[in-house]
Amino acid sequence: MINKDLNKYSSHFSIYTELRMQENRNNHISMVNGDVMGNSVSSSSGVSSRVYNDGNWGFSSSPDFSDSAVEYVVKNASDNVLFMNKRKKKQCGFILPDISGHHEIDLSTQRVRNDQKQWIDFLRNIDDYIASKYSFLSSRTVVLSGLDMEKSLLTSAGSTSYSMTPRGIMYISLTMNNNGEPVDLMDVFGGLGQLEDHFLDPSHFYSDIDILVEHLQKKSNGIYADAGLKDVILDADLAGILAHEAIGHTTEADLVLGGSVAGEFMGEKVASELVTLVDYANTMNKQACPVPVYIDDEGTPSEDTVIIEDGSLKSFMHNKDSARHFNTKPTGNARAYAFSDEPLIRMRNTAIHPGTSTLEEMISSIDNGYYLMKSSNGQADSTSEFMFGVPLGYEIKGGKLGNAIKDTTISGVAFDVLKTIDMISSDMTWSAGGMCGKKQWIPVGMGGPAIKCKVNIGGR
Amino acid sequence: MKAGADKAQCIYSSGEKKELNVDVGEFSLFRTNANHGISIMVIKDQKKGSLSINKIGKDDIDEAISTVLNMAESSMPDDAYDISEYQEAESFSKGDKEPALNIMYDRMEEFMEYSSNTFPTTIIEQAILDFSAGTSYFRNSNGVSFDETEGSYSFSVMFTSKEGKDISSFNSAGFSSLDIDLPLHKGGSINRLLKESAAHVRTKTVPNKFTGDIIVTPDCIMSFMGFILGNLSDFRLIAGTSLFRELMNKQIVHESLSIHSKPLSDNLSGGYFITSDGYKAEDLTIIENGILQTFLLSLYGSKKTGLQRVSNSGGSLIIDSGETAFEDMIQSVNKGVLLSRFSGGSPSDNGDFSGVAKNSFYIENGKVQYPISETMVSGNIVDMFQKVKHVSKEEVNFGDEIFPWIQFEGITVS
Repeated sequence: MINKDLNKYSSHFSIYTELRMQENRNNHISMVNGDVMGNSVSSSSGVSSRVYNDGNWGFSSSPDFSDSAVEYVVKNASDNVLFMNKRKKKQCGFILPDISGHHEIDLSTQRVRNDQKQWIDFLRNIDDYIASKYSFLSSRTVVLSGLDMEKSLLTSAGSTSYSMTPRGIMYISLTMNNNGEPVDLMDVFGGLGQLEDHFLDPSHFYSDIDILVEHLQKKSNGIYADAGLKDVILDADLAGILAHEAIGHTTEADLVLGGSVAGEFMGEKVASELVTLVDYANTMNKQACPVPVYIDDEGTPSEDTVIIEDGSLKSFMHNKDSARHFNTKPTGNARAYAFSDEPLIRMRNTAIHPGTSTLEEMISSIDNGYYLMKSSNGQADSTSEFMFGVPLGYEIKGGKLGNAIKDTTISGVAFDVLKTIDMISSDMTWSAGGMCGKKQWIPVGMGGPAIKCKVNIGGR
Repeated sequence: MKAGADKAQCIYSSGEKKELNVDVGEFSLFRTNANHGISIMVIKDQKKGSLSINKIGKDDIDEAISTVLNMAESSMPDDAYDISEYQEAESFSKGDKEPALNIMYDRMEEFMEYSSNTFPTTIIEQAILDFSAGTSYFRNSNGVSFDETEGSYSFSVMFTSKEGKDISSFNSAGFSSLDIDLPLHKGGSINRLLKESAAHVRTKTVPNKFTGDIIVTPDCIMSFMGFILGNLSDFRLIAGTSLFRELMNKQIVHESLSIHSKPLSDNLSGGYFITSDGYKAEDLTIIENGILQTFLLSLYGSKKTGLQRVSNSGGSLIIDSGETAFEDMIQSVNKGVLLSRFSGGSPSDNGDFSGVAKNSFYIENGKVQYPISETMVSGNIVDMFQKVKHVSKEEVNFGDEIFPWIQFEGITVS
């Protein structure tokens, strides 16, 4: 438990200053073909300070929580900004938005905590179930991974916050051989909460494992997708990664300043009128999102950022410095992963808003296309051109699901693809384990309804 | 050991990083991170637990030892768990202990001036120059005692080019070095990639789908090599999914390729002296003239599979350069792509891959024709590495790796 109340350190502040104490705690157990390959816990904690003066930032961190360490990091951060100010022509008059807020939230589990033996027994039960029921599999990997992020913040603008935001995840990856060639498939379970909130009874996952093996068997007999521009349904996983990677990143204000294509589109029609795309701060339809952020790491109260509304580009995501540049309000998107990291503009929970169609209606509307269910990874760039790996999908023929397809990729220009969306499902699913890399890795929420659109699909 | 472990190893490390940041062409942040930490691994009754913390008070360490022993006792036994055997104690050091901070600033300023003057349409989205230095102490209950002190500079830059409303894909480049004696734009591939970015603001697709050659740049080769190396490493060999399990001393890639891992090489500023499982690191050849020389198995992986342990922790890769000049490689291509960056899905376990050619160029009739976008390349990595046409004379030293250009045939481009 870190110190929730940092107010006693405010006397160290002389210019714009942020002070953050943080501890990240990880628990990781991996089992491969019944053997425990990994059994580790780790924690990383410390204090950091960031100061702003004349357009420059200074930052310093220490692994020590003592009063003297706090005094040291504030002074060292101030010395660092002084070094920058001496070397660089001053940008006098740059003043950050004066915004503050207060919030405290502890999302620790209310259940009795398991010890490591119970978690290893849990994994062994899952592995035994897979091994005994599906002996034809050539490889089984089951992983439990927990991350607790505990932070407290004090800013010279008067913000105070404390948060304990946990994530508990289980990965199951299975491989079988087909004519001597390995074919694999993975699924991820869990999300917001500690491991106890998701994984008390292994039998709750037996039906999910049965479904995963059924998909794997179909995939092992799968066909190559027919390459080209196709009508497809992107299920929640892929709709989420499209919203995050291909659209979300282009609308982060620092990347807009760096030349992203979205900078040219503000106020313009960039998508079908069915599309409203939001970076949710903490809740959606009164339900907690996977990564709830109430006060960001600059002390700004977090608000939902409506990026696209009814097809028109409405807003970028901001920290205080980009809000100053664009003469607008910060949106509470400044987030740091570790105590030693400075806050960057990061997404929180990014998704297209659900529509009115059912998945069945969407499938029956396609004569020749694909239903793409899972993503393995995804990349996009400043042009909004994207590529996502697709490890699970089915062809659609005459409005009905057909053969499974082998691993493939989809690609396109996201702002073009959004214009082709003509159906959106009414349901909504968040992916379990979203992580985003941008100088630092950080947990993010991404998900959505299923969307029907046109994309390029790779084949052979 | 007093607490009851049968075997134990411990690594204490401490260090500091100083980092200068440029955002959107302007100096923005000077960051200093001090940190330290302890990693402990214990084996008891052939059961293992691992723990790492960055608190080093006596009470914190006592609690950590108690926790990690409980973790081991909670786990399942495996005869493959072990620690390294006794070796002569040694201390290693490389690089400076303190950064030349004002020179770092000068180099960064010089880089910003060079890029804005030479490539005025290119936006430096972010540039980071850091100096990291630290010491690690490795000890285990077999009497292994190694100390390692290192300090090095690292530079990375991300950029996009823009003319009016036309923009390029972003690209990034970087290198590491023991000093900052050279201008930053002369490190790794930075100058070439900045130049290519400026040319990439207006792109076209390839004229049609074809099967042809790709010339993979040194910046991009790890997008494909990673799959080959993954099949030689712990996870796939233990899980039984490696495609090369039965191919020791057999040809697994084209005979023109020799690949080494040289963490001690004087030609690399990166590298390391101690493996993560407690052995003094050695340089080695992974593949010689296409023939597999060693798997990349840790002590655990070795005991688990019954195969030989590798004598380092991998990385520090060097692919031997070839005999063909880069320009001659281009001239040999009838239809193909100069692939500078690959945005691809994870390859299938059998090596099938497909993805988008980013920051790349279309080649036809022996000439680079134009920059491309919305172009996919696909094939099979195992097949591709059997179909190497040329390896370039030229190579790029990134500080951590040295790679040439490699020309592969039979790749689908659409």
